[in-house]
Amino acid sequence: MENQIPMAMATATEIERGTKTQEDQWRVESQVFQIYNLFRGIPPNSQFAILELQRDKHIEYLTKGFKQLGRSFTVLDANRPWLCYWMLHSIALLRDCVDDKLENDCIDFLNRCQDPKGGYGGGPGQMPHLATTYAAVNSLITLGGHRSLSSINRRTFYDFLLRMKDRSGGFRMHDGGEVDVRACYTAISAASVLNILDDELTQNVGDYIVSCQTYEGGIAGEPGSEAHGGYTFCGLAAMILINEVHRLDLPALIGGVAALIQRLQLIVNDQMGLSNILECECSTDSDYDSINSDISADEQSLEGTSSHVNEMFQIREEAAGQPNTSHLADVNNVGYNFIKGHVHMKPLFNNMALQQYILLCSQEEGGFRDKPGKSRDHYHTCYCLSGLSVSQYSCTKDVGSPPLPQDVLGPYSNLLERVHPLYNVVLDRYYEANEFFKANSL
Amino acid sequence: MHGIYRKTPSQDEQEASALKAIELRDLQSQFLHLHHNKIYTKEALETSAKLLEVNPEHYTGWNYRKLAVQHFLNHQSETEADSESIQSVLNEELKVVENALKKNFKSYGAWYHRKWVLSKGHSSTDNELRLLVKFQKLDSRNFNAWNYRRFITMLKKISDEEELQYTTDMIYDNFSNYSAWHNRSVLLSHLFEKRGERQSHKESVLEEEFEFVRNALFTDPDDQSGWFYHLWLLDQTVKLEPFLLSSWPPHGSSRSVDYLDGRNLFPSMHSLSKDRMFPLVLYFSEPVEGVNSSTVTIECEYYANEDVIWRPLSANKFGFSQVWFTYLNLPDEVHSLKDCHVKVFVAQFPDIVSSSGFSCSQTSHIVFSLCVPSHDREHAEGQTVPRFSWKDKEFYSHATQSHDASLLRSLHQLKIAEESKSKAASDWSMKIISNEIAHCRELLSSTNCKIGKLTLARLLMAQNKLISYGIPNDGIEVHYEEILGLYHDLMKLDPVHICCYEDESSLVLLKQVTSSMESILRYCYQYGDSTSPRMYPCLCLRLNGLSLSQIGSVERLLWIQMLDLSHNKIRSIEGLEALQLLSCLNLSNNKICSFTALEPLRSLKSLKVLNISYNEIGAHAVNTRRYLCSSPMTHTVENDWNFKEFTNSGVKLTNHWDVFFIFRDLNLIQLDIMGNAVVNDQLKSFLFKLMPSLKWLDGENRN
Repeated sequence: MENQIPMAMATATEIERGTKTQEDQWRVESQVFQIYNLFRGIPPNSQFAILELQRDKHIEYLTKGFKQLGRSFTVLDANRPWLCYWMLHSIALLRDCVDDKLENDCIDFLNRCQDPKGGYGGGPGQMPHLATTYAAVNSLITLGGHRSLSSINRRTFYDFLLRMKDRSGGFRMHDGGEVDVRACYTAISAASVLNILDDELTQNVGDYIVSCQTYEGGIAGEPGSEAHGGYTFCGLAAMILINEVHRLDLPALIGGVAALIQRLQLIVNDQMGLSNILECECSTDSDYDSINSDISADEQSLEGTSSHVNEMFQIREEAAGQPNTSHLADVNNVGYNFIKGHVHMKPLFNNMALQQYILLCSQEEGGFRDKPGKSRDHYHTCYCLSGLSVSQYSCTKDVGSPPLPQDVLGPYSNLLERVHPLYNVVLDRYYEANEFFKANSL
Repeated sequence: MHGIYRKTPSQDEQEASALKAIELRDLQSQFLHLHHNKIYTKEALETSAKLLEVNPEHYTGWNYRKLAVQHFLNHQSETEADSESIQSVLNEELKVVENALKKNFKSYGAWYHRKWVLSKGHSSTDNELRLLVKFQKLDSRNFNAWNYRRFITMLKKISDEEELQYTTDMIYDNFSNYSAWHNRSVLLSHLFEKRGERQSHKESVLEEEFEFVRNALFTDPDDQSGWFYHLWLLDQTVKLEPFLLSSWPPHGSSRSVDYLDGRNLFPSMHSLSKDRMFPLVLYFSEPVEGVNSSTVTIECEYYANEDVIWRPLSANKFGFSQVWFTYLNLPDEVHSLKDCHVKVFVAQFPDIVSSSGFSCSQTSHIVFSLCVPSHDREHAEGQTVPRFSWKDKEFYSHATQSHDASLLRSLHQLKIAEESKSKAASDWSMKIISNEIAHCRELLSSTNCKIGKLTLARLLMAQNKLISYGIPNDGIEVHYEEILGLYHDLMKLDPVHICCYEDESSLVLLKQVTSSMESILRYCYQYGDSTSPRMYPCLCLRLNGLSLSQIGSVERLLWIQMLDLSHNKIRSIEGLEALQLLSCLNLSNNKICSFTALEPLRSLKSLKVLNISYNEIGAHAVNTRRYLCSSPMTHTVENDWNFKEFTNSGVKLTNHWDVFFIFRDLNLIQLDIMGNAVVNDQLKSFLFKLMPSLKWLDGENRN
């Protein structure tokens, strides 16, 4: 070979053939492989038992979290409403609820996080922050009931959102904080569910999010950065909620996410093709702990897109038949209409394979984990259950009817509550909140 | 916080952590007290620093410190500005951030605070670079650090050249650093932009870069990061000015027009329209924008240039398109026997610009004449139309000596007339690519590297592209067989991406088929014997059974009226929209899986006969393609979805909006659709209703 290889390069390869990430990936791949191999080797009866959702154990793990948390949770001191949301939402998904005392304690605690000038902080006395505000609002909606819902001061909350609004059209995370797509989603989601979205809040948000879409189709955290799975969910969901989703390059977005999911499916379907699993995980939930950035979130967003197409079509069809289209004008109705329509399409992802991965590889004796080799935590418990719910219901056509047994992996008792994929709260709780906030105008 | 490792603590540890919790709780409430009472003393600041060291995510803590600094600065300006004490205050902030980053270097709050301090303009940026080197040693792919680095280089006005050297060092350290290669491409793009004028500089830089990345590739051919950079370099190398590649009608086609028209090769009229309209198509080497009546002028005695409206075919979302078209609408004064001479000048002004920012500086012109047919040749409405048959027995192998053949040969030889041509840049590209091909072959002789094969195939195609643009090639042959062989190997080596390789192979195969007139003629057939009535065009290009999965080389096929693509693996028909003369199209027995995949047909106003039988429309439950076109949701369609008239037709439009979207503007006479899962009686009656012109559907007559 005539080419001269610089010494530095030559030695670099001699020392290490696999980077740390590569070695981690190989380890996870072999663990997943072993789990699936084991599963395949056992008789069908036992397979069925292994696929059972350990409902009681999960509830025990979650309820315990309200009482005492380990030392490592000190870094979440500025994220306490998130802990409430992860646990309360998980318990609600499991079709259970917390006792009256705990419920009241939660409401009181969150109320102490509420800033006199609007919004919720990461703990009592901390300054209000959009992400913790989203978590607090979703927690209170999940708890439901008059006391809980009326504890949210919508008037000051609206003022807080206006203060967080940046010139670019996006939102700031907090006073003097960074502007990004996370902030846009949490602001729009909370405002939409509280029925206080208006032109002033939505103005130019679309411009900002569109400017974050990269050439690969995904959405970055801020203009000019690289695309990221969690931000993609945030951007897409926010665009749907403000009724401007058509401004995104959806073919490219679906292409990007579909490629990701195709890779995952391959892993799950074909045991020998265990490639790239870590890559997927990395690109979906590496950095953003505080935002729905699990794979399940991507699944949700995809399902969202597909049903939305049909939804919009149906609305237009109806509009063509009856000239009165005023119900379309209120942007606050988008979230409600989104879920109401019939879904004629199958999901864009393999809903059975995702259920299998969650139940076999993520489930622990109480709680869920990211992947084999990691420990369980409340964050992953929340988003694994959310993803499981979306997968179970992704083939049902009508929002009111339960899924067929063939769409629920394992015993039918595995069935969870249905979620609203744009807000990620249990659907029935969303309906209650929607009715409550519509009846009580600002 | 997910991903944090936990183990069951021992008794002692539990007690210790309980103590710590009390301490922390204490610290927290102390801090909040200070914050709420706006106390910014030295001790107070220490308390917040302690808190942030334990928990860098405490955003209220960072904000408190910003307020404290601001408070201090305001106080300073009231008395006497003392730059030393300002600096020491800001340095203290940087120290707190550094400690926090040591605990968690992904903390957004900490990095953001650092940016805020630096933007005050009192701190040395040298320290920042040193700190970055430290963090990037720990994790060379940390994107917070790379972002901060770009912020600092901007603040410090570090030259791109200097930063380039930094990425060089990073790559020497470990050439598998994707972020460093990426930053390199960003920096070089800036440099090229700045020195846009000096082509020679760009050439020498690219040559050096090829050599640099080659070192990495030869060291470890299986590492992907270098190959990706190599592809980016290749892209930079073949980035040429856009120019006019071909047109319809072709330049100099004046002598042939009578003949063409007489044999119905040339569409006489816009379908169904009494207007006398001729399509005029311009095909550029790259997607361009800025094609309008000032950049393209038409000289024609019956026609005012100002009235011409150029439209893009298949434009991307930024409005760039390779194909632009307009209709020449000839006024009634034009006598049917008189030739109409047309001269088109392209790019007299440099306003036609490609998506990579190059403007079209080569002016070119095309001259042709049209013969206006007399009206009586139009068949009357309501006349019974015989069913068109795609059966093999209808096609007669084409004698190469026939009139059609000589005509096509003359068409093929026509080149765009170019006024000026600067070939220096492309000569250089050819040299570079030939050199890289040699190196790539050398590498592959010793290793069976997947991405190396792919790169060689792409290099060979790039070379082929340059040759086809007429760039001197020193007798280099085009290696179609070698490229096809490479893709064949890749399909076996990497079955996961077989669809990708099939698509690429299809493009190569079509390049080969269209490379010469002799080659095209091998695929040309005569439809019907010479005695049959001339209802349909007589010359058919039959590209059936070639395992094609997509369409390419369309610029060579602009004259086609009848095209048989049956028995392939076609999934996408993008590109067909440029074939404005197409009137009969056979797509049966392919892998088209949705109606929306047929979107390019919407631009083909002369299409009369379409066969899409035995495809996979409706066969796949999960159908991502369904959304890959304008839908009611995307608002890109003109807002005239008039559903009302169809709401009573018994078809649920919610299910068939894509059918409505594709077929409502087509004027088909015959459609074959059987053998698709989606077909049922309801759909058929809907199609009859949607297209009043439709006479035959799956062999059934409308009546």
